[in-house]
Amino acid sequence: MNRRQVLRTGSLAAVGGVTLAGPAVAAGAEQPFRHGVASGDPLPDSVLLWTRLTPSAGATPGSGRGEESLVGWEVAHDAGFRRIAARGHVRTGPDRDHTVKADVVGLDPDTWYFYRFSWRGSSSPVGRTRTAPAVGSAVASLRFGVVSCSNWQAGQFAAYRHLAERGDLDLVIHLGDYLYEYGAESDAPRRHDPPVEMTTLEHYRRRHAQYKTDPSLQALHAAAPFAVTWDDHESANDAWSGGAENHTEPDEGAWADRKTVSQQAYAEWMPVRYEPGGKLYRRLTFGSLAELSMLDLRSYRSEQVAHPFDRGVHDEERTITGKEQLDWLTAGLTTATSQWKLVGNSVMISPVQFPSTLNNRELEAVAEMLGPIEGVPYNVDQWDGYTSDRAAVLRALRDHGVSGTVFLTGDIHSGWAADLPADPMTYPLSGDSVATELVCTSVTSDNLDDYLKLPPRTLSLVVEAVIKLANPHVKYLDFDSHGFSVLEVTPAQVRMDWFRLADRADPASAAEVTASYRVPAGSDKLERAPRSMDGIVPRHEAATEHELAAAHRQALARQEAR
Amino acid sequence: MNDEITTPGAAASDGTDVSRRRFLRIATTTGAAVVLSTAAGVPAVSASQAGVHGAGGAGEKKLRVYVLVVDGLRPDEITPDTTPHLYTLRAEGTNFPQARALPVMETLPNHVMMMTGVRPDRSGVPANDVYDRAEGAVRTLDRPSDIRVPTLLERVAETGRVSGSVLSKEYLYTIFGERASVRWEPEPLIPITDHAPDLATKLALSAMVAETDPDLVFVNLGDVDRVGHADLTGTSLGLLRAGALSATDAYVGRFVDELRSSGRWESSVVMVIADHSMDWSHGHKVISLQAPLEADAALAGRIAIAQNGGADLLTFTGPEADRAAAVARMREIALATPGVLSVHRPGSLRLAPDCADLVVYCKAGWRFSDPTPISNPIPGNHGHPATEPIPFFIAGGHPRVRKGAMSSALATTVDVAPTVGELLGLPPIEGGYDGEVRREALFSRGG
Repeated sequence: MNRRQVLRTGSLAAVGGVTLAGPAVAAGAEQPFRHGVASGDPLPDSVLLWTRLTPSAGATPGSGRGEESLVGWEVAHDAGFRRIAARGHVRTGPDRDHTVKADVVGLDPDTWYFYRFSWRGSSSPVGRTRTAPAVGSAVASLRFGVVSCSNWQAGQFAAYRHLAERGDLDLVIHLGDYLYEYGAESDAPRRHDPPVEMTTLEHYRRRHAQYKTDPSLQALHAAAPFAVTWDDHESANDAWSGGAENHTEPDEGAWADRKTVSQQAYAEWMPVRYEPGGKLYRRLTFGSLAELSMLDLRSYRSEQVAHPFDRGVHDEERTITGKEQLDWLTAGLTTATSQWKLVGNSVMISPVQFPSTLNNRELEAVAEMLGPIEGVPYNVDQWDGYTSDRAAVLRALRDHGVSGTVFLTGDIHSGWAADLPADPMTYPLSGDSVATELVCTSVTSDNLDDYLKLPPRTLSLVVEAVIKLANPHVKYLDFDSHGFSVLEVTPAQVRMDWFRLADRADPASAAEVTASYRVPAGSDKLERAPRSMDGIVPRHEAATEHELAAAHRQALARQEAR
Repeated sequence: MNDEITTPGAAASDGTDVSRRRFLRIATTTGAAVVLSTAAGVPAVSASQAGVHGAGGAGEKKLRVYVLVVDGLRPDEITPDTTPHLYTLRAEGTNFPQARALPVMETLPNHVMMMTGVRPDRSGVPANDVYDRAEGAVRTLDRPSDIRVPTLLERVAETGRVSGSVLSKEYLYTIFGERASVRWEPEPLIPITDHAPDLATKLALSAMVAETDPDLVFVNLGDVDRVGHADLTGTSLGLLRAGALSATDAYVGRFVDELRSSGRWESSVVMVIADHSMDWSHGHKVISLQAPLEADAALAGRIAIAQNGGADLLTFTGPEADRAAAVARMREIALATPGVLSVHRPGSLRLAPDCADLVVYCKAGWRFSDPTPISNPIPGNHGHPATEPIPFFIAGGHPRVRKGAMSSALATTVDVAPTVGELLGLPPIEGGYDGEVRREALFSRGG
């Protein structure tokens, strides 16, 4: 079974008679593999497989109970497991919350595989995964799902279901805020377990387990390998190396302890080549076409400054990456042999100036969405709060003539496409850009219309127009939609399609493409694509051309009036 | 009316006449005449083909290769609006969007790499200007003897086929000398820039192709680079640059049209490439290393700097016993100088070890000016890593050319010779190529 054959079927559901996508894949509540299966971090000859065993009724996540077990795994070329490529066993037990990670080696590059786990006569659901192309090999095309900010309590994970049903994804990139630390909210459509804010190892394990029961998330994990990084909510809001905005000492214990247990649970529960004490930042390569550098922007960063007028944002001693990671990133970008240098970047790197022409209500709503501010919305939790590190990265790109760097970003619950100006002062005249940034919106987490408590594409249009006026390098901005993105990488271009859910509260919600932007090879500049990669005119954006123009006029008038 | 004049060349020591030359004077449509010098034995098409295809018509050749170097062209300057002909040509062939020039990102080393297929540590040409230890002076590498290995031009000629060079810059003309079977001496030369305008170069190319129908022609179009160097308005308002791009693009378009109308297109492979990119520096971002090096007691009076725009080649001219300590000190001083990006030993860049002790690169937006801060007043600049990205695509109507393709391969200037060599079926070179055949752009023989 090669990729083309899979693509022709149009849906995973038809592959080999095995249903992989959709709710049917959700592991039964009583079966020992009830948290599904997953794979991640594909290399040319290996891939990491994941599952969680529930060996006994009492061995619930976070409980620390249950016996050690030996779990079998099988990797096959076919969904019927007649042509086995590899098999083995992995030990697990209560010390790692009965999670299983198997690094399967000796596989063929650029190849689809099927996998499953077994224990005492029970088999897990079947997952499908794919190895990366061989180092240096020519690759015609890659397709990635791109997601971030999936808050269980803010809605249903229909975005994951849509991606799972596509059947054409080589990889899913999750840019962080895979889960949220908050306690149960009484008015939420579905509530967090445990009901308290997670601060202990048991809490973190239970929350991870709860998210892994979502049928859409299970379906997506079973459909394609993931490459993940964490942002702040995997530990606590606005985390930095020595604390977090949403962490109070001593009431919630020492931050170092909380950070340690959050990272332990993450290592246990995510299909990622990361173990506690190691480095989460890492690089995956896809032949000569692309490489993906996944960043960790929480573990080494300096504390956020208190407000945007704090000159600390330009302090060379402050860092968002840590020196070692910054050196690793810039060295990787400047010596890369792959054409496209994709960077999995949990928070926005594009400079964003928030103009003072917004009224108080809009300011408050934007502030609610974007983080710590005083007076003027300005997100000092992003690279904007650490300009020295950003300058070092962009400077390296320019000095070394690096082309094809695309930052893939989450965190901000909104869709953006922006050029990264070589020099923001001259950009409006020169248009010179050294890289680009594509930001996917949230799977469910709140954004502007949710905060404004208004219908989507109303007041947000004005806010978007004002921000784009003040930031001419921002080509696309959608503050309202929830959903997912699909990224296509070819030697000719990188393009992203943004999809919006009709209703984030509905697990069966429809989705429609809202925009498509591309970066032609060698340009490092964004272009709007008239059609999505599926050949559809982005109806949402096209339909609001008139409204956007009106909003633009309105914004200009307001600017003049002030 | 075309004239032929044959002049006896100097006799070789064994008495054979190895450089017997002939001059072809070709009338052009503009009324100006193009003068080509040829090796003896190169037939004129007007004499041999007239009556079959008419003067200037295509003969029976199955393959013709044209390597067009648009000097200093940046890959992002090829757009449907500013360079429609290059844009279309690129779309019709195989494009290498990752293509890069190689150190030092200057005209001479990269043209020599294109024609030899080997890096400067083998070709002998690491930069435009070097400190010549034997002569004790900084000089431009513009002598035929500076290239130490065979080039495609004479290798094609040795197989009984015709090679041609149409090189707009004086130093390119002199370094490649009489290697090609047919040469055009650039004229008229524009003072200061020492290059012929693309209008003249294009006329010479057309005349050469029509009259001698070479199997391989190596072309340098210098206007885009020369205007880039002079353009004080930089990238933001580069009107002059835009004008040169537009004109040069039109010349390329016309040449392609001529290939089509003369019936040569179906047998043509057209490679378009640049030798380096272009960066623009600001007036206050000038690096002059001479003064800080001279200020050091251990180095004073014992330093030679070959300034190559975005790269300075530093040589210690003092006693050999002092070299190691002096080089360490030079490195230290260079790295402490604002605007310096990095310092390298020549060998690490595959430059000949004797070309310099250190190669110093500047950051984007800066330039070197040595020996004095006013020695290099030109804002347009290259030689440093920011100017590595180049356009490189292979087009043409020949059936071996893969149409409408794009490759992620890291193509470089040194790949031109092996690719042309493969197309023309040339025998391997001694020691093998340093570059690679860009098979991504070619269907296999008979395929």
